[in-house]
Amino acid sequence: MSNTGNQPLIRMADIHKSYGQVQALVGANFHVNEREIVGLLGDNGAGKSTLIKVLSGAVPLTSGDIFIRGKKVELRNTGDAIANGIETIYQDSALVTQLSIARNLFLGREPLKGPAFLNRMDQDAMNDVARDLLKRVGISKNIPPTTPIGSLSGGERQAVAIARAMHFDSDLIILDEPTNNLGVAETQGVLNFVRGARDSGHSCIFIAHNIHHVFQVVDRIVVMRRGKVVADNIDPKTTTVQAVEGVITGMSEHEAEAAAT
Amino acid sequence: MENRSILQRFIARPEFGPFVLLVLMIVVFQSINPSFLSLQNISNTLAFTVELGLIALAMTLLMTSGEFDLSVGSVFGFSAVLMWTLFNAEVTSLEVAFLAALLVAAFIGFVNGIFVTQLKIPSFLVTLGMLLVVRGTALFITDGFPQRTWNAAGNWLAELLVGDFYIGSFRLYMSLVWFVLAVIVLGYILTQSRIGNWIQASGGNPGAASARGVNVSRVKIGLFMLSSVMAALAGIISSVRTSSANPNSGTGYELEVIAMVVIGGTALMGGRGTIIGTVLGIFILRMMRNGIIMIGVPGLAYNIFIGAIILGMMALHSWLERRHKAGT
Ligand SMILES: Nc1ncnc2c1ncn2[C@@H]1O[C@H](COP(=O)(O)OP(=O)(O)OP(=O)(O)O)[C@@H](O)[C@H]1O
Ligand SMILES: [Mg+2]
Repeated sequence: MSNTGNQPLIRMADIHKSYGQVQALVGANFHVNEREIVGLLGDNGAGKSTLIKVLSGAVPLTSGDIFIRGKKVELRNTGDAIANGIETIYQDSALVTQLSIARNLFLGREPLKGPAFLNRMDQDAMNDVARDLLKRVGISKNIPPTTPIGSLSGGERQAVAIARAMHFDSDLIILDEPTNNLGVAETQGVLNFVRGARDSGHSCIFIAHNIHHVFQVVDRIVVMRRGKVVADNIDPKTTTVQAVEGVITGMSEHEAEAAAT
Repeated sequence: MENRSILQRFIARPEFGPFVLLVLMIVVFQSINPSFLSLQNISNTLAFTVELGLIALAMTLLMTSGEFDLSVGSVFGFSAVLMWTLFNAEVTSLEVAFLAALLVAAFIGFVNGIFVTQLKIPSFLVTLGMLLVVRGTALFITDGFPQRTWNAAGNWLAELLVGDFYIGSFRLYMSLVWFVLAVIVLGYILTQSRIGNWIQASGGNPGAASARGVNVSRVKIGLFMLSSVMAALAGIISSVRTSSANPNSGTGYELEVIAMVVIGGTALMGGRGTIIGTVLGIFILRMMRNGIIMIGVPGLAYNIFIGAIILGMMALHSWLERRHKAGT
């Protein structure tokens, strides 16, 4: 199938996901276009993390279809998703605290040097790239790339995870609450990264509870409630924060206003 | 300033505690009994040391990946019995029997790995079960009697495994060569190779590792197989050296091996492992066994010392860890 440009990068159709008795997703429809930053909003337990876990191959879906550029794909595990150009930064840390920054950055895709059978990591190259990336994500302190993740702050850890997505430039970068626990400078670093991602040809899904952060960077806002997408074309430029909050909580705008007074 | 930070970094390493202990032990034993460091005694100690040591090295990688294997002692006894039974019954040549024993051991490790990774049963229970199955099999096929091994004399394979050679008047066993080789290869794998990174990640945060596309199950299954094969190799080497393949040999080795590994600074829960630490741990336990006898402490008291060392070392490691986290 040719890429005509109006074909979405990702389309998820009628996705259902149950964890035993708990129905986390009940017929969610969702899409992301090429070079688009989508903000995914919703209350706690709305199913945001579950939706992106399905998309990143971390949990199997109960039913539904996923298309990438119009082609149906099976994402059986995270390896499949990565191979399809989907990179995820999880809400619950996806780093190995015992390993160094550089070893985490390249985990699963370590560069090798020398003959292949020696399986030898190119640690110098890894450290050089890591040092460079840390600067780009706004860690100005001079942290050696051999530092174990365990001795970094929460924000620095998040920055490392983001640096990883930047380096392995994927078509779609999913950030699940990347600004949690971040300081001011680091939050700005993340937001800048998300903005920059569009310019360098990536798409992003950005999940955050801070609506103001979402408003600052995204092209389109999608709202989930109780396992469904209830609004998927909110333009942050023409909509107010209050109105979006109303959609998230499920109150009509009228009710939202009444509650506010 | 620079010097101080190098010293500090050395002290912060997990190998520091066991290193100091080993030096201390040598000093104490040597000052009480000057023949402790005699060539004769060192040569004797080295001979057993490396047999358990081979298992401990493999166990270090397995434990770094977050699992451990209680069946190694049984595999140690069983493999030798299997090899000699096949050979004595004139089923095959010694070489084929040797390969068969290693293959069966690899299969035992594979089964352990499948139970742990696919059925998600803790390795404590899986390998405890396997310990009994394998030991039971060894007793069953031999009726509990040791197997003859002496007709292997002069066989090239037996020579290659445990032949001895002299450097001056210092008698060394080939098994020492295998041990040194294993230290180099496994140390390299753990610290320099990509697989080593996957092993550490599998133990440290399996979720994160598999999110990055690391096949955690395959890493663990591979390491279970490695630990079984090394236990088999050690058992066979030991049977040739002592000229006996006893279905009961290796009983209790699993705990001694795990003790060696944790004393060296490898985390029982995975994520952090050190081959150098394990080498130190191996020597600490073996010298303790040898040393307390040489200084006249009754051998029966051995376990008291070993237990005390394990407790002391664990306290030290956890203290260092907390101090490190506190950021001094
Ligand atoms: N592993 C699991 N087992 C059982 N139920 C789960 C599991 N993960 C999520 N759920 C349930 O699925 C629903 C959706 O959870 P999900 O994590 O997707 O919400 P979320 O929108 O990401 O919320 P938050 O904003 O708090 O992160 C919740 O009711 C949750 O309890
Ligand atoms: Mg969530």
